[in-house]
Amino acid sequence: MTIKEVQTTCAYCGAGCQILFKVDQEQNKILEAVPAPGRTNDGTLCLKGHYGWDYINDPQILTKRLKNPLIRRGGKGAPLEEVSWDEAISYTARRLTEIKEKHGPDSIMCTGSARGPGNEANYVMQKFARAAIGTNNVDHCARI
Amino acid sequence: MNRYVQGDPLLCIGCRTCTIACVVAHEGKRIYEIDPDGYDFHPRLKVIKTFNVSVPVQCKHCENPACKAVCQSQAIYVQDGTVLVDREKCIGCKSCADACPFGAIRMVPLGFETNPDGTRRSVAHKCDLCFGLEGGPACKRVCPTEALRLVESEDLAEMLALKRGNVLLTASAPEINRVN
Amino acid sequence: MSNGVHEIEDSKLLFVFGYNGADSHPIVARRIVRAKRKGAQIICVDPRRIETARIADLHLQLKNGSNLALVNSIAHVIIEEGLCDDKFIEEHSSGFDEFKELCKKYSPEAVKDITQIHPDDIRKAARMYATSGQSMILYGMGVCQFAQAVNVVKGLANLAIMTGNFGRWAVGIGPVRGQNNVQGACDMGALPNSYPGYQNVTVPEIRAKFEKAWGVPLSDKVGIPLTQVPHYVLHESEAKKIRAYYVFGEDPAQSDPDLAEVRESLEKLELVILQDIYMNRTGIYADVILPSTGWNEHDGVFSCCDRGFQRIRKVVNPPADANVLTDWEIISRISTAMGYPMKYDNTEEIWNEVIDLCPSFTGATYEKLEKYVNIQWPCRSKGMEDKGTSFLHKDGKFANPDGKAKFSSIDWQPPTELENDEFPLIFSTNREVGHYSVRTMSGNCRLLRNLEDEPGWIQMNPELCEELGVKHGELVKVISKRGHCVTRCLPTDRVKKQAVYMTYQWWIGACNELTIASLDPISNTPEYKYCACRVEKIEDQAWAESYVLKEYENIRRSMGIELEKGRKAI
Repeated sequence: MTIKEVQTTCAYCGAGCQILFKVDQEQNKILEAVPAPGRTNDGTLCLKGHYGWDYINDPQILTKRLKNPLIRRGGKGAPLEEVSWDEAISYTARRLTEIKEKHGPDSIMCTGSARGPGNEANYVMQKFARAAIGTNNVDHCARI
Repeated sequence: MNRYVQGDPLLCIGCRTCTIACVVAHEGKRIYEIDPDGYDFHPRLKVIKTFNVSVPVQCKHCENPACKAVCQSQAIYVQDGTVLVDREKCIGCKSCADACPFGAIRMVPLGFETNPDGTRRSVAHKCDLCFGLEGGPACKRVCPTEALRLVESEDLAEMLALKRGNVLLTASAPEINRVN
Repeated sequence: MSNGVHEIEDSKLLFVFGYNGADSHPIVARRIVRAKRKGAQIICVDPRRIETARIADLHLQLKNGSNLALVNSIAHVIIEEGLCDDKFIEEHSSGFDEFKELCKKYSPEAVKDITQIHPDDIRKAARMYATSGQSMILYGMGVCQFAQAVNVVKGLANLAIMTGNFGRWAVGIGPVRGQNNVQGACDMGALPNSYPGYQNVTVPEIRAKFEKAWGVPLSDKVGIPLTQVPHYVLHESEAKKIRAYYVFGEDPAQSDPDLAEVRESLEKLELVILQDIYMNRTGIYADVILPSTGWNEHDGVFSCCDRGFQRIRKVVNPPADANVLTDWEIISRISTAMGYPMKYDNTEEIWNEVIDLCPSFTGATYEKLEKYVNIQWPCRSKGMEDKGTSFLHKDGKFANPDGKAKFSSIDWQPPTELENDEFPLIFSTNREVGHYSVRTMSGNCRLLRNLEDEPGWIQMNPELCEELGVKHGELVKVISKRGHCVTRCLPTDRVKKQAVYMTYQWWIGACNELTIASLDPISNTPEYKYCACRVEKIEDQAWAESYVLKEYENIRRSMGIELEKGRKAI
């Protein structure tokens, strides 16, 4: 077993703790989370930092991991169907474009995410809302 | 002197990281690999919260354990300064849980084993100071506020000396305080 | 936060206001404990006997919803007893005379009935805060989740300004941000009024800068805040209606107030797009679902609560059978398909675009983040010697045009929905230490689920439990004007009899069925900390227990889990 160590930032609260993950590289599996020395956490972690990572293996306790793009080909009320990325992207782009052309860019609302995706994804999302759609209707769950 | 893990209510924030660490230490990391319902979640300590106190409560590893004295089946024994339960010998009579003055023993269903009548077999369950595990008590190791410590005889001596000193200071004239 | 988390333990006095660090950020609470150990005094303001209250030198157990009355009263005492830092006020602030006038009517005696705090304790708190020489305010959702929230923040800032507790080590005011990257989403301009780096969309020169960088004309109209989406879907005129909702890494059908209204608006929308790692309650209403990589499966940067940029790294690959993309890649591809091409090869390329557009972030390069791990903005220079800024407002310089801090003179206003005959109790939400947000992540973690699971608890004073005839662990029904849910009774004398508390993580004990969508006019944050409710005993406990089990099964089924197949080892 080749054990790789990767340091990252905890995704469970604003404290920004540094975690060192030990990973079984061949199996592509996390083995454990160890506190790392960070400015805010000083080599300590709470229960979410220590034990909050096995969701990634899709244990299906509360919800199921999304593994393929899904669309309702038949419109509202029709079932969600698995489709290719190409179809999902072109469908989404077409529907958004139609709504934008019919009702204007301000009829579309986008969200950022204050959770796992990270700053770069938020930047791209607000750029998409502002430059591609043409609206400042972008916000996130900071208030929630 | 037997060692024991002691919690400090002034440092404890009631987060229960210790509670999970206890289970992981005893069940092993296999937890992450198996069916989410395929292991027992039976912590050997309990974080209590009252108006003024939050602190984990666990076995004090008494020098003359009441639990051991009342055990009819010799399931409770002391090894290397640690009070332990032999699960094979335990008949589940609950006398030890009743005798423990700290509420540190509880009865838990043992794995997925059953009694002859089909009911799940319950045994006495308590802190074993992570007996035989590398690194000592897991609860102490993970506590983010260092609220838990493993008290050895020299620690106890130090604690007592400090307390005696404090008593002396509060009992004396306030000037002594200032001089110190 | 004006100051760093690592500074907390060096403060001489911590004024902890509506902030329960032990449950929301144990690792920040650790600093409060350490401060106490190092000899700091602690004042805790909270309607509950939270962990910080236990170790505090003074606990002001105020009545829910009386925040600004108390804050203004503390200012009253500071003025009355001559404890102001006159030099700091003179040199670094404006608007003090008006504020002084306002405070006159907030004597501790005058606010005694509103706050339920003894006047002597208010005086004591004011003296402790004003005279320690190094006082730091920490606040949380107990300040922000009210219809009067921003004004309380301004009130707390007043206290720091009038006592000169700004611009030094271990002072200032610290909103300890809840979710891991709230600070980052704000930093990146996922806000209706600002581009990345807090650059306002209505300022022509700034807009021109972004138009040039992005190569298209941009809207000068401030956008709609998230919490007003139901209103814009259901009640606005045809011309102004929201028709499409692109939800990214969120679950409004669980996290937003007044869930019945949220569900109605999701049903009415022409197009709902959900981009997430797990199926969630919003997914039920989605027309498109775009699966993305999770935390630990992608690279990037997070911003922690005290402005600290830190790297996140790809720890593992997504599972082999998961046909998922990174969030930025999905959005870029949709953008390109819509005729606005976006093409990035990695997160560093995106980050470099960000920092070059934001003067306060410019120095926080990946190279420096690699070397220093954590860089607090402002960090303006790319040179290795600029390691960021631990505390803001050095030398009393503030971000206003005159460089001075501005006193705000605002009166207390009561919460929106008060207790009444039908709903005699105050209902407030709070946090479960072992779970996170809408629980799509932590609810799928084995051990966190073992520690606490559905349907959660309602904290009730033992006297109230006795009056209602409910015991520890019994299922009870909690009802407000807008909805109801079922949860377990947790008797505790850490709460007063007039108020009950539920953690907001649960899907069966979903407290947002009850909460009110009354928003702060500036921040648009809902009043999660106050509405009226009643608690009812459920006579048939066996029925209630089976109801909870069945509900849990229904939820899991609707989230795509095939229960019949049973769980298999993974």
